[in-house]
Amino acid sequence: MDVIIDTSIFLGKFLYYLLESLAYKIIPRRRKDVAGEIVLITGAGSGLGRLLSIHFASYGAILVLWDINQEGNMETRRLAQEKGAVKVFAYQCDCSNRQEVYRVAAQVRKEVGDVTILINNAGIVTGKLFLDIPDHMVEKTFLVNAFSHFWTCKAFLPAMIEANHGHLVCVSSIAGRIGINGLTDYSASKFAAFGLAESLFLELNMVKKSEVKTTIICPYFIKTGMFEGCTTKYPFLLPILEQEYVAKKIFNAILEEQVYVVIPRFLWFTLVLKQIISSKMVVALGEYLGVDSCMASVRGE
Amino acid sequence: MSSILKSAKGLPIFLGKLLFSILKALIVTIISKPRKNVAGEIVLITGAGSGLGRLLALRFACLGSVLVLWDVNKDGNEETCRMAREAGATRVHAYTCDCSHREEIYRVAHQVKNEVGDVSILINNAGIVTGKNFLDCPDELMEKSFDVNFKAHLWTYKAFLPAMIANNHGHLVCISSSAGLVGVSGLADYCASKFAAFGFAESVFTETVAQKRKGIKTTIVCPFFIKTGMFEGCTTGCPSLLPILEPEYVVRKIVDAILQERLYLYIPKFLYFMVFLKSLLPLKTALLIAEYMDILHVMDGFTGQKTKD
Repeated sequence: MDVIIDTSIFLGKFLYYLLESLAYKIIPRRRKDVAGEIVLITGAGSGLGRLLSIHFASYGAILVLWDINQEGNMETRRLAQEKGAVKVFAYQCDCSNRQEVYRVAAQVRKEVGDVTILINNAGIVTGKLFLDIPDHMVEKTFLVNAFSHFWTCKAFLPAMIEANHGHLVCVSSIAGRIGINGLTDYSASKFAAFGLAESLFLELNMVKKSEVKTTIICPYFIKTGMFEGCTTKYPFLLPILEQEYVAKKIFNAILEEQVYVVIPRFLWFTLVLKQIISSKMVVALGEYLGVDSCMASVRGE
Repeated sequence: MSSILKSAKGLPIFLGKLLFSILKALIVTIISKPRKNVAGEIVLITGAGSGLGRLLALRFACLGSVLVLWDVNKDGNEETCRMAREAGATRVHAYTCDCSHREEIYRVAHQVKNEVGDVSILINNAGIVTGKNFLDCPDELMEKSFDVNFKAHLWTYKAFLPAMIANNHGHLVCISSSAGLVGVSGLADYCASKFAAFGFAESVFTETVAQKRKGIKTTIVCPFFIKTGMFEGCTTGCPSLLPILEPEYVVRKIVDAILQERLYLYIPKFLYFMVFLKSLLPLKTALLIAEYMDILHVMDGFTGQKTKD
């Protein structure tokens, strides 16, 4: 009898959630107000990080910008202030260095306050065939793209949990869902970032009524200098994405508190397909989309 | 406009290939692929001193392969060596190697190349788990986790892949985990390392295909928790679909997959369906199913063990 009741409740909820998600495809979700939130963005000195900073600036958030490149970071600060940001704090920080992350994090806590939205965006890419990548570069890719997420989460998550208010944003990549030719170290590091973010999401989910949110972003290649020279076979189907488009999508996803974000949406279908087709077809799919030859002309940053 | 036409041209070809592949996959699941002969192949297994590594070594011993056993635990490794000889292996070489140290991997790899020859089947199996909640896990332990579970794969590939490419003959086996497919609460660092191992192996696979190196095979293994003591205390809410696995069963499946040169091996088979559902369903429904099956609390009773597997 219990089984019947449990199963009925389960089926009822299942149907409800399914319908709810379909409804949200038409009706826009509620967007939260981020005015006054302390938003920390790593890699804010250029590319996606800069654009995200500007978005948050125009919505009244307090910005904390981290980048290893002091000049770029200052420029982002200037642009954010132009956009009307009330408070912008720029710190030079090498995210691949654990001690530096903790040191600057302590500084932020003292000078600004508790970070409520943490956006782990900093990333590097080498873009060579695996055996051609020097060991120290492989290590560096890992430290910036994956380990920095560990250290920043360790630094800022405790306060979020205590206040039961926060948002962890992990900028992974489509290369963090599917291995890609010519991107072995990058792919592995983005997989790691995804795995960490997902595990943290489930860990936070265990706590009843937890208000600490998680968002994991997996974009295709974006036209920042990072993937300079990358080509695509079918620009209509799978274009190299425009920075502003991606930044807007990410910003909206954070405000709507979405958990998994794949850009462009079409790639979500590829991820499902990958689970049901054979390995040879995974390769053929990659060839068809031109993903495998995409990195052939990359110069990288 | 021309790009749309280009897409349209490639589409029928792609769909044709897709259909053919689906049919082939269906046939293959009914009639299994032929198994290759590994007698005389030089098989290197990391973490061979206990658990899965030891059982793998014994299976390959029965198949007539030349064994190269690596483990940080000298006693365990030598015990495996002895057992392998008893099982009929004529050539077994045991080396003490701490896979968390890059230079040590390179040094011992060099020794193997001189004393044994070119490794043709590389099985990255060594792994450790801390099993603590993210904020309770000391940074050094998380780094160690990564060094053993993932970075060791980078360095062993660097050490042995060039020869495989030169001979156009080799097989890269990555022992990842179901925790490398789906995040698990209480296993943040382990998950991240197993995700990385999976992604890395998959990327190198795509590279071997793009470089047209037909002689290099890849197998990525993702088992659920196994009764080797590594995940002692873990429970499953759904033992019929997701049981804590018997080591012998897992090893049989892994060796079978290697001999059939399969790319992905998820154990138990339910994992294929689970990962498919997870990718397809909206988040809330996927979580609902996970709660209904009571698989979100697997790590609640974790005690683990101190030794490496």
